[in-house]
Amino acid sequence: MVDIQLMGLLNATLQAATLLFIAALGELITEKSGILNLGVEGMISIGAVTAFMTAINTQNLFLSILVGVLSASIFSSIHAFVTVILKQDQTVSGLILTILGLALSSLLGKKYVGKKLMVKIESIRDIAEPSNVFEVLLNQNFIFYLAILLMITTSFILKKTMFGRRLEAVGEDSRASDSMGLKINKTQFIATCVGGAFAGLSGVYLTLSYVPFWTDNMTSGRGWICLALVIFGGWKPYRTALGALLFGFLEALVPRLQTYGFELSPYLVKITPYLITIIVLVVLTIYKEGKTGAPGNIGRPFFRENR
Amino acid sequence: MNKYILSRRTVVNDLATFYSFLIGLFIAVCIGSVILLVQDQNPSNVFSLMLKLSVGSINSLSSSLNKAIPLILAGLGISIMNSVKLWNIGAEGQIFLGAIAVNLIYINTAISNPTLYIIVLLISGFIGGSICILIPAITKVVFGVNEIITTLLTNYIIIGLTIYLVNGPWKDPKSLNFPAAAYVGEEVYLPTVFGRLSTGFFVCVLFTFGAYYLKEKSVFGYEMRIAGGSAMTAVYAGINAKQKAFFAMLIGGGFAGLAGAIELLSQTHRVSIGISQGFGYTAIIVAAITGMRPIGIFLVGCLFGALTIGGAVIQTIGVSSYIADIIQASTLIGALVAQFFFTYQIKEVEDG
Repeated sequence: MVDIQLMGLLNATLQAATLLFIAALGELITEKSGILNLGVEGMISIGAVTAFMTAINTQNLFLSILVGVLSASIFSSIHAFVTVILKQDQTVSGLILTILGLALSSLLGKKYVGKKLMVKIESIRDIAEPSNVFEVLLNQNFIFYLAILLMITTSFILKKTMFGRRLEAVGEDSRASDSMGLKINKTQFIATCVGGAFAGLSGVYLTLSYVPFWTDNMTSGRGWICLALVIFGGWKPYRTALGALLFGFLEALVPRLQTYGFELSPYLVKITPYLITIIVLVVLTIYKEGKTGAPGNIGRPFFRENR
Repeated sequence: MNKYILSRRTVVNDLATFYSFLIGLFIAVCIGSVILLVQDQNPSNVFSLMLKLSVGSINSLSSSLNKAIPLILAGLGISIMNSVKLWNIGAEGQIFLGAIAVNLIYINTAISNPTLYIIVLLISGFIGGSICILIPAITKVVFGVNEIITTLLTNYIIIGLTIYLVNGPWKDPKSLNFPAAAYVGEEVYLPTVFGRLSTGFFVCVLFTFGAYYLKEKSVFGYEMRIAGGSAMTAVYAGINAKQKAFFAMLIGGGFAGLAGAIELLSQTHRVSIGISQGFGYTAIIVAAITGMRPIGIFLVGCLFGALTIGGAVIQTIGVSSYIADIIQASTLIGALVAQFFFTYQIKEVEDG
């Protein structure tokens, strides 16, 4: 009988999912306003490295979290400026954000590679080998609970508040929203920066809890998975969370497969999440006859001709 | 009270893209200088050293041009796909699959004439790149699945496949710490002409003119532009937009695959994770900065190749090589900002 350590697997799944989910939720908010931001990978990196640097230098956790979130948000305002104010191509701008974010974070973090973190975000209660679901939940830190809270509030704000309805209107049909007197530029700018802040929080979770050290490119493609998650979730917070759990599960499963006695190559198992995303995308597109839930105006700059 | 509004310029300067690029480069050098100053480095020293070590001698100049080959070829592929208004974020994966295809054919065949063999291998690389984009192409034209996400995801699939191959079936027992496939034989190395310049560069020149002809002068290019412009116009003109999109994607992927083949046959000589160091992503910057013009891609590709070499060599004096990445990305941001002022103007109008 192989000991599959179900609770250990669940624990790792929740941690991997938290990291993916927060950034994906931020991207969802940004995309709801009609702005596509391909820079998630770069924003997470910036959040991760600045939080780590602050934690090493000040050993103040609260300050580190704040710095990580804010710097990623400020970094994302580059995208907001280029696409919302200057009406330039969102794909290009988002990609620059990824390349620039990875390069900048490597540059900033150069002196911090291999440094040991004195403070990290502690779990509610540290349990080495959780034996039931309740203990697994206790073993998470406050960012996990914050993620759940953010999911509920985001869903509520999008559906039930004026701000949320306006945000969706802007993303769905900016021309009509503009004639109704909604402030397109302001809404999109804010939504992009909020998305950046969420990605920053993901970065904070990455370096101050998930893997408490810093190396180059440690986001290792997670930002791109977040983009896929938004599509997977059909631009709905709860379904995006489900997607994050699925991807988190696969990420947690890969290193354990061999201990379970499977002869699969870990390298091949690692690519399954990407294959699954493509399949899910295709199925969603066929099933909904092209209506995947994407905001109508996504990726198109809004420009009001002279009136 | 007066208010300010944005309006599109009726006449846009023909050289707007070129001027934007120069302005972007200037801004990028300023940003780079600030970063260097913060790190207690003298910017003028660093930049002159970068210049000297990237174009100062025959050897360094030819290395820079070699680095430009994958950027140019992948950039051309991206620009061809852009004719039908599609994005190719998957050039990185296509470069890898191009190299994998070359190795696969090399292992399983033997052709005694080296020139013929090299040509066969280069074609295999092209086909490998096309195969890499096959799934995004089919899902795009048949089901309408967003190609940005699918081409991007294939990168991770193909890089995962590469890691699997060099750690498993293709692992060369002689390469101990660095997982890599066995070296290809010297008979299929692309010969060098002067300095270190690979003959692959001439393939690159040839394909630049090919892409220019295809995009700007051929019937297919014209049809691609119509298909990408408006679905209804394409219907009225009797153009099968989906077919054009499909072939544009296969050709675009093929260009990047060819880049991988040349990289393998002229630089690395074996399949490993080092086949591409983000060339596929930098190629997107190169293509975007030139407004998707083939000749521009060639020139900017050469410049960025030199920047990459310059960035790599200044590591020896303790400057991070990421400074090159930052300069490349900031050039594009600067160019986008400048482009805005060439295409829009801010007008003052009376309110009410």
